[in-house]
Amino acid sequence: MLTVKNLNSGYGKLQVLYDLNIDVPEKGLTVIVGPNGAGKTTLLCSIMNIANVFSGEILFAGEPLTGVITHKLAQKGISYVPQMGNVFAELTVLDNLHMAGYMLSKSEVNDKSEQMTEIFPVLKKFIHRLAGTLSGGERRMLAIAMGLMKNPKLMLLDELSTDLAPIIAERVMVEVARMRDELGITILMVEQMAKRALEIGDTAYLLVSGEVRYSGKADSLLHEPKLCSMYLGIKQASGKDGAFELSVSDEGSENS
Amino acid sequence: MAPWMSSGLIYASGLALTAGSITLLYIVTRTFNFAVASMATIGFYVVYTGVTLFGGLPYQYYPFVLIIGAITGVICYYGLNRPLLYRKAAETTLMMSTLGYDLILLSLIQMYADFLTYNFKLFPRRVTMSLFDFELFGERAAAFILPVIAIGFLMILHFFLTKTKFGIAMRATIENPTLAGASGINSDRVYLVSWIISGGMASLGGAFMVMAMTGTPVMGMYTIPLMFAGAILGGLGNIYGGILGGMVIGLTEYAGVYLLAQQFGPWVLGYRMGIPLFIMAATLLVFPRGLSGIPLGKIIKNLFAGQKRGASV
Repeated sequence: MLTVKNLNSGYGKLQVLYDLNIDVPEKGLTVIVGPNGAGKTTLLCSIMNIANVFSGEILFAGEPLTGVITHKLAQKGISYVPQMGNVFAELTVLDNLHMAGYMLSKSEVNDKSEQMTEIFPVLKKFIHRLAGTLSGGERRMLAIAMGLMKNPKLMLLDELSTDLAPIIAERVMVEVARMRDELGITILMVEQMAKRALEIGDTAYLLVSGEVRYSGKADSLLHEPKLCSMYLGIKQASGKDGAFELSVSDEGSENS
Repeated sequence: MAPWMSSGLIYASGLALTAGSITLLYIVTRTFNFAVASMATIGFYVVYTGVTLFGGLPYQYYPFVLIIGAITGVICYYGLNRPLLYRKAAETTLMMSTLGYDLILLSLIQMYADFLTYNFKLFPRRVTMSLFDFELFGERAAAFILPVIAIGFLMILHFFLTKTKFGIAMRATIENPTLAGASGINSDRVYLVSWIISGGMASLGGAFMVMAMTGTPVMGMYTIPLMFAGAILGGLGNIYGGILGGMVIGLTEYAGVYLLAQQFGPWVLGYRMGIPLFIMAATLLVFPRGLSGIPLGKIIKNLFAGQKRGASV
């Protein structure tokens, strides 16, 4: 559904991504993992025309996206949930949902808002509260709901689990998997909580210093001990029966 | 009404609109609009042209003031601001570009003043607009009408920003342009509308202010420090704060000069601009985020808590 070919991009004169090639299959969950500063967020920003694309191609359902203005990408069915600032803190939860469905008709917006409060009941409780007063987990749920408001064909999710308590982060991951399984949405997810993301993902890419170091099945990356320990902070040890057991180092988001 | 109050209210209502205009543009486009000076002067000349060539009261020409002010805003947006915003220009560049636009507008205003002089035998370089006003309850009508129009304008603006889809989209874009774009909101349209509103507000503010001061081609240049003082006093991050800041600056200028002149003599008049600027500096020293940063809710809550404690003792 989304193809990135030989992408070179960055911010201003600073190049962050080098000859990147990524393929996001339809109705699948593609996970981008890698250490800090690898260029994961820059990849999403390049797709959304927020970062500067120096060369290369980004194709969505065969249509080139390079140079398309951000608000027109939303009209094409691409939904982006940024890592930070992913809700309008000074607007109410309801206004946030309405803004997320800005290009829909009034009746569609009302229907979708209703639907979102059914999928995420916590939002119904706080529907007239300012989004800035919600807890981290509630905000993340609102951000996902905002992403879903547009009936997206493709969702770009940037580090949804950041700053969340492990139990809340796990709930967020469950919701992401549910969006793929029940709603059939194609998802490209950048994630620091690498182990969990690779468990629920279909395809994975490991990004290091703006280049792809691994591409393939998501769960297979978990069986690459060198890559896991070097770049993802996941230590691997042999079990009694010789099978791999996974644990996450102190630097990871989970503690073993 | 105290002698300073009627002129002060008229002047402050105009200054409030110009300060609000500066604040609105700054929070939406990061542009400090120096052209607000000439936009305000244009407001004066629209009313002056109306009353001298077609007759009637100044107030009936305010809709035209809004339209022409909005047009000057649109020209500045498409001619200068938009191309620079798309090139991700620095704030200084954006600001200096409006200074250039202001100088162009000032030249056009001078040419227009000459045009009125040579073709209609008018004297547009030194005008007392209050002569065109009428009396109401023994005072100049403008002292009642202009604050009401200013408050009405503010209420309409508040309704637009909080109750309409596009107004909420404007607030969303102000808060987070990236997320707004990703939500499908066309920021280009938001910037354009902010220039339209801002241009209209600046010109209307000038048309108000000239009811309390002498109208000249450089009246905007003379008052621009106070327009910015109002915006800065308001905190620059909140349009209501900017309007309140302009109101405070305008009123303190008139009240301060009147009270100090009574105490120390008329020589104080020469320093009239210093009084509101001093108040602005003093306020910012105590409240660095300006008037909109004053925790009014907390202060009122503490006051009531203090009263309750007093009552229980």
